[in-house]
Amino acid sequence: MTSTKSFLSLDKESKKKMVPYLLIAPVIIYYFLFWMFPVINAIVESFKSVDGVWTFDNYLYIFKNPVFYQALFNTGFIVVFSVTIEFVLAFGLALLINTKFKGSSIFLFLAIIPMSLPAVAVGAMWSSGLATRGWLNSLLMTIGLIDDGGKFLFLAGGRMATMWLIIIIDAWTVIPFVMIILLAGLQGIGEDVREAGAVFGGTKFQILRKITMPMLKPTITTAMILRIISAIQIWLIIVLLFGFNRLPVLLEQVVLNYDQLGAAYFERIGLALSVLVALIVSAASVFYLKVSGSFEKEAVQNE
Amino acid sequence: MNRMYKRQLRRSAKRASLYIVITGILIIIILPIFFLFSFSFMSDYETYSEWPKPLVPSLKAEFKLDKEVDGYHLFIFNRSENDFMPFGPLSFHDDAGELEKLQEFVKRQANCTLPVSKIREYMHKADSGTPVTFNLRKKLLANYVLFFQVVNGAPKAVLNSLMVALATIVISLSIGGMAGFAFARYFFKGKNLLKLSVLFVRMFPAVSIAIPMVIILGRMGLYDQPLGLSLVYSVGQISMSIWITASVFMSIPVSLEEAAMVFGTSRVGAFWHITLPLALPGLAACAMYSFIGSWNEVISAVVLTQFNPTFPVVVYKALVGSQGQINLITAGSVAQALPAIIFTLIIRKYIIQMWSGVKV
Amino acid sequence: MATLELIDIAKRFSKNVWGVKKMDLEVEEKEFIVLLGPSGCGKTTTMRMIAGLEEVTRGTILLEGKDITDIPTRDRGISMVFQNYAIWPHMSVYENIAFSLKLRRMPGNEIKARVQKTADMVKIGNLLKRLPGQLSGGQQQRVALARALAVEPKLFLMDEPLSNLDAKLRVIMRTELKAIHQQTQATSIFVTHDQSEAMSMADRIVIMKDGKIVQIGTPDEVYFKSANIFVAGFIGTPPSNFFTVKCSVENGGISLQHPNFTLTVDPHEFKELQEYRNKDIIIGARPEDILIVPKESAAFTEKVLVVEPQGSHQVVAFKLNERIVKMIVSPEIKVRPNDTIGLAFNVQRLHFFDSNTEKRIPLGREEL
Repeated sequence: MTSTKSFLSLDKESKKKMVPYLLIAPVIIYYFLFWMFPVINAIVESFKSVDGVWTFDNYLYIFKNPVFYQALFNTGFIVVFSVTIEFVLAFGLALLINTKFKGSSIFLFLAIIPMSLPAVAVGAMWSSGLATRGWLNSLLMTIGLIDDGGKFLFLAGGRMATMWLIIIIDAWTVIPFVMIILLAGLQGIGEDVREAGAVFGGTKFQILRKITMPMLKPTITTAMILRIISAIQIWLIIVLLFGFNRLPVLLEQVVLNYDQLGAAYFERIGLALSVLVALIVSAASVFYLKVSGSFEKEAVQNE
Repeated sequence: MNRMYKRQLRRSAKRASLYIVITGILIIIILPIFFLFSFSFMSDYETYSEWPKPLVPSLKAEFKLDKEVDGYHLFIFNRSENDFMPFGPLSFHDDAGELEKLQEFVKRQANCTLPVSKIREYMHKADSGTPVTFNLRKKLLANYVLFFQVVNGAPKAVLNSLMVALATIVISLSIGGMAGFAFARYFFKGKNLLKLSVLFVRMFPAVSIAIPMVIILGRMGLYDQPLGLSLVYSVGQISMSIWITASVFMSIPVSLEEAAMVFGTSRVGAFWHITLPLALPGLAACAMYSFIGSWNEVISAVVLTQFNPTFPVVVYKALVGSQGQINLITAGSVAQALPAIIFTLIIRKYIIQMWSGVKV
Repeated sequence: MATLELIDIAKRFSKNVWGVKKMDLEVEEKEFIVLLGPSGCGKTTTMRMIAGLEEVTRGTILLEGKDITDIPTRDRGISMVFQNYAIWPHMSVYENIAFSLKLRRMPGNEIKARVQKTADMVKIGNLLKRLPGQLSGGQQQRVALARALAVEPKLFLMDEPLSNLDAKLRVIMRTELKAIHQQTQATSIFVTHDQSEAMSMADRIVIMKDGKIVQIGTPDEVYFKSANIFVAGFIGTPPSNFFTVKCSVENGGISLQHPNFTLTVDPHEFKELQEYRNKDIIIGARPEDILIVPKESAAFTEKVLVVEPQGSHQVVAFKLNERIVKMIVSPEIKVRPNDTIGLAFNVQRLHFFDSNTEKRIPLGREEL
């Protein structure tokens, strides 16, 4: 009541200034209640034992567990290669679509379907495909590339093979998403700056390297950051294809501890682990921003 | 003339290689989706008894009924063997119980209806000594029907999912839309921070939010309730809604509002009569985006539901627990994926627009 | 030998859409050519074909005698100023200008000297360290110009480079561009839809319409000997006024009859008009070729509709046969709306066009 009153008593100018803050206030409140609060809660609880005593045990347990380091390595491996591969291919696709060849809009239409698929559907698709008697081997046999003895055991490979499989599947799913972001950025760059590159002696590759990519940098940063954040959190497709503990990754361990092991003690391990994941994600994002020089650029612009 | 011909040749060659590359890419994109759909239409027999598996589901099944000394035999045409293969019991006789079992077996394995009376009819024909062959139409959607019958709580889960999605849309569109409008029309402190909220709400794993939310929602009496779930989903969806609605409002010139104000409407009136109608398609797209996000989400739902799971949770549990045959699970997946695919295709223009509007 | 030769070039965009239908042009060394026409006439397409940004559908382009039709843009030895400048926002002014020089592996100190020289020429020598985002529109325009000049090209292309500037700056840049051309003597092609820009800058103007050349000539030629009604109407502000008249030959005199007036002209001086006996002719009268005269000696009288003072002159408009006619008169003459004035033509300067072909009827006396 009082706040309304004081708002009404303000002069018109100050009222006008407050409008945007009133408009964004619900978001702030919402974030505080349903994001900040649980996050802080999770952090606090991760430092407590089941009996509510302050402790580092949850973290110590994680750091002593060799599976954690395996998960760390696997996640890192998948992130580095999947994000790189996805970027290169998505950029290629975006450049291709941006040439606006005949049929490019239909191509775009079809190319974005994978990004709309629910994770579970992607899991069903590939588990039905990669099974030894799945559609991929069936397809290869039907077109005569392999015979019955030559079936690929896709899901029975070693650790590296499994990780590459995951990287490829993740790329298949996520490339459309990255491509859309890059395409949006490309469409914001006029055709003429690239034409100017050609007029002033640039080859196609030089134009790409010296004009298109630098101009696209903010977009590229956006896409990469979003991808890094979600690539570190990869787990569902792995569990859907291989179950738990076959290829440990960070978030899979969180879910495993929290949801599968079924003891209050492990729930807290899961919490602590998820706090670590959040830390790793933030650190990776900041690291990427630093390496890509986004901070310096902002500084230059602020001058 | 020769030069023109050469130029044309070069252009054609260029175009041909372009389209070869594009076709290749399209195959890689479409093929897995195609097989997901294809499997969902296959009968158990096609899925498990033919090898290599058929790439396209058949629309009919071909049967052969034969009489031998030990009784009648039923065969089904196996496409991979290109021959009739024994189907069902080793042999059967004119016995009501046996025939009913056979009818059920044909329905389950081949997704075809073969009533007892029909079996008898064919048996009479086969009595003459020559085998009878006959075709039956395959019920293509049998897997879908079965999925909802067999998998526990699937129909109710769809209803739950819809309610969650609806609540998420309402929350994220109203709260995010207001902020998006502020974003597009005003300067204010913390604008950049708000822009980046999309990033930092994602940095903390969704499952890690879901875990403490179990207790928080429990206290609010919303645990295992659609509304409680939508409160969690909205965190991520609000930030996306801000981006989308901001780009939508930015694309509507302020001058239109100003013109309305010149002609005597208030600021609110101008928003109501000018901006909102123009923004409506974009806001609808934003709603669809929220729908997709909410409809597809699995892990928070796994943590935050118990007796009222959402549809993705049901499919997820069917897949992880191998509750059903793969053709059943693909049917469930397709049923879950279809709305998301359709909505994505409808709003693709807005997705691109959103990303061109806001950058880190 | 011509620097640039376009031989029968054409551009088809899709089955029935032609950007350029047929184009033949020879550009001499050091010449400043302006391609002029309304939007969609094919002038920009022509320039883009010369630059290699657009593939030709038919024809040959020769630059200094060498066939460049199928050579990639970067090897053509041309440079270009784009309509929206197309300067690269992530490079400083210096880097923008030095871009092509670096790609050519010019030694560093030479690049520096060349960049400074061209930047000074367009008066941005003190802005080299800035980013384009920190420059005004006019300064960006100069960067684009400097970048194009630094190449010292065989051919200098400009695609409506002044159209994004405000009116005042545009006139200033016009003069500067012409001065730069006189200094560098670079063979230039300039595309514009602004006829006064074309008139003030060009050595020769190429007027285009619907993908074809309508007339090529010096500014004076296109103004005083417009090839057809389109050119006469397009060149000059206000544009020419047109009157359809019936031509008859009576008592040895040629009389041109309009519902509102009748003109009698000398049959020897205008003997070519005799062929149009009993046919329609279209008269084109420039605004300055309609004169206010005492009513007694007037060809006709009419009421003034509007007077638009311009300082150096004034534009007087009246309605004739439901069509607005505009004339330019000296500011000393005082006229007001609704005044009835006596009017006459400066017959010697009138243009005559065939009413069917809309082409100029060539008068023998003009060749004298």
